[in-house]
Amino acid sequence: TDCQKNQYFNKKAFVSYLIHGCYCSLIIFFIPWASMNDAVRNDGKDIVSHPSFAFLLQTCLLIVVHTQLSLDTYYWTAVNHFFVWLSTIGYFAISVTMYSNGMFYVFPSSFPLFGAARNTLNQPNVWLTIFLTFLLCILPVVAFRFIFIQLRPTINDKTFLSSIRRSTRSGYAFSHSQGYGDLVTSRKFLIKRPLKMTALFTQTDSSIFQNQPQHYRTIVVTVPDCIFSGFKQDRTSTSCESSLCSWGFQ
Amino acid sequence: MVKQESESANRPDNTAFTQQRLPAWQPILSAGIVIPGFVLIGLAFIGIGVALFVTSRSIQVLELDYTGDSNGSPCSSCSQSVVTNCKCSLNFTLTTLFQGPVFFYYGLSNYFQNYRRYGASKDDNQLYGDLSYFTSPSSSCSPYDYDSSKKPIVPCGSIANSMFNDTFTLTWTVNGTTNNVPLDGKGIAWWTDYNIKYRNPSVTPLKNAFNGTVKPINWAKPAYELDASDPSNNGFVNQDFLVWMRRAALPNFRKLYRRIDASGDYQKGLPAGNYTIDIAYNYPVRAFNGAKKIVFSNVSWMGGRNEFLGIAYLVIGSLCVVMSIVMLIVYAKFKFPDEE
Repeated sequence: TDCQKNQYFNKKAFVSYLIHGCYCSLIIFFIPWASMNDAVRNDGKDIVSHPSFAFLLQTCLLIVVHTQLSLDTYYWTAVNHFFVWLSTIGYFAISVTMYSNGMFYVFPSSFPLFGAARNTLNQPNVWLTIFLTFLLCILPVVAFRFIFIQLRPTINDKTFLSSIRRSTRSGYAFSHSQGYGDLVTSRKFLIKRPLKMTALFTQTDSSIFQNQPQHYRTIVVTVPDCIFSGFKQDRTSTSCESSLCSWGFQ
Repeated sequence: MVKQESESANRPDNTAFTQQRLPAWQPILSAGIVIPGFVLIGLAFIGIGVALFVTSRSIQVLELDYTGDSNGSPCSSCSQSVVTNCKCSLNFTLTTLFQGPVFFYYGLSNYFQNYRRYGASKDDNQLYGDLSYFTSPSSSCSPYDYDSSKKPIVPCGSIANSMFNDTFTLTWTVNGTTNNVPLDGKGIAWWTDYNIKYRNPSVTPLKNAFNGTVKPINWAKPAYELDASDPSNNGFVNQDFLVWMRRAALPNFRKLYRRIDASGDYQKGLPAGNYTIDIAYNYPVRAFNGAKKIVFSNVSWMGGRNEFLGIAYLVIGSLCVVMSIVMLIVYAKFKFPDEE
């Protein structure tokens, strides 16, 4: 599997994260900078004050981060929805409150920067800048992922694309893949089986297993067996490692 | 062998939440979503980009530099002399009507209002009208909090001290007659600044509140005399003062000075003709290689002239469309094998 081939945290992956981070940071600063250079509000007054420029950058950043988070969440349960939407809406609510008249009246010395949100967020060119920044950061990610899914699908991608249906989330910490919940909960493993090859996938990605000496039960799906290691005593730890890998990485 | 576990008190409930059986939705980057999505976004961006570009092109802007840094440029005599209130003039000609409402800005270059120590150097309590801070300004204003004879400065701090003090008058010459173009200075600062953030102390006459204090070192007149023609435009709610106190984020900025009053001959804007700007050149910028300029501009729904947004949207829109074609080719060639 990908984990055994060290595909998720090697130097190449690190460099790609680094490049992605640098690219997003530059976009998040320079696009608002270029669009706010010599800009004014649509009633002629100034718009580029220090606090309001900072607020614009913050907003761009938060929106990009939330969207990136959404792209990386493979399973959207009610809990995910709640927290991500809460965070996004909460950011706007808190910023507008922080920059509002009310807070200034109550604590004048702590909230001196007020007025920034109100005077910038009602300008169309500010929203257009935010929209541009957000899409410039997110679209390359989407495009790259789509292309890599087509060109070099990983075993997890194949699992996803072969099960394009609404599914319930299985237990036992297969938190980011469909996992083998159905199989596990079907109690098939409680029955002693003769030594034969039954596999969920006929893909050759599972070549690691097929190359093992035959005294292992070469079922790819034996991975979850190690959860029930209390039940079976003749398992080796090799199949456990891959499951541990899937638990931690996605 | 299966060991039957006995029921224990620590066994979690058998609900969907605790057993992680919540219904979930799985977003998948399938071709049917991504490729049309990119095309739609691309086309939408191209549309918005065209609208922005066309709007930006229709905005008229006139910039006139008056730093006077080279011999022969206007106001060069003033920039080299140390006489305050030196007068110079700038002439320009408009060939077509400059559509109203026309805004008159002053622009500064290489001026870092976003410098941290500069930005922190003010006393918000003083500016809110709190008299106790008049006699003891906050230490963040130092060294502009007390003058050499230990009297408190009001308003203290570096931002207030460096207030822009050039003044301009605009005249229009047509058919041999020279008319003064009326400039309107009301409501040029943010509403929130004028009405909420800055307050004059509630002492009448305002001059009495400033007893025992001195004006900032670089100011010609004290705060309560900033505008002789309009008594309500004095003190901390003076519009020019508010515009200056709103710190700019970038080193090359422009701030609103006045708007052309749309009355009489100027209802539609600035008519074509010869114009002269008389400048009282007070503000020294050459010491730090700064530049000063005057900008006339009209505005639209997207603000002033800003070609960057329009061009950026057009470029990104076209790239999106190109990317979607590329992805379509990739998808068609390396079609994902869906037999398991």
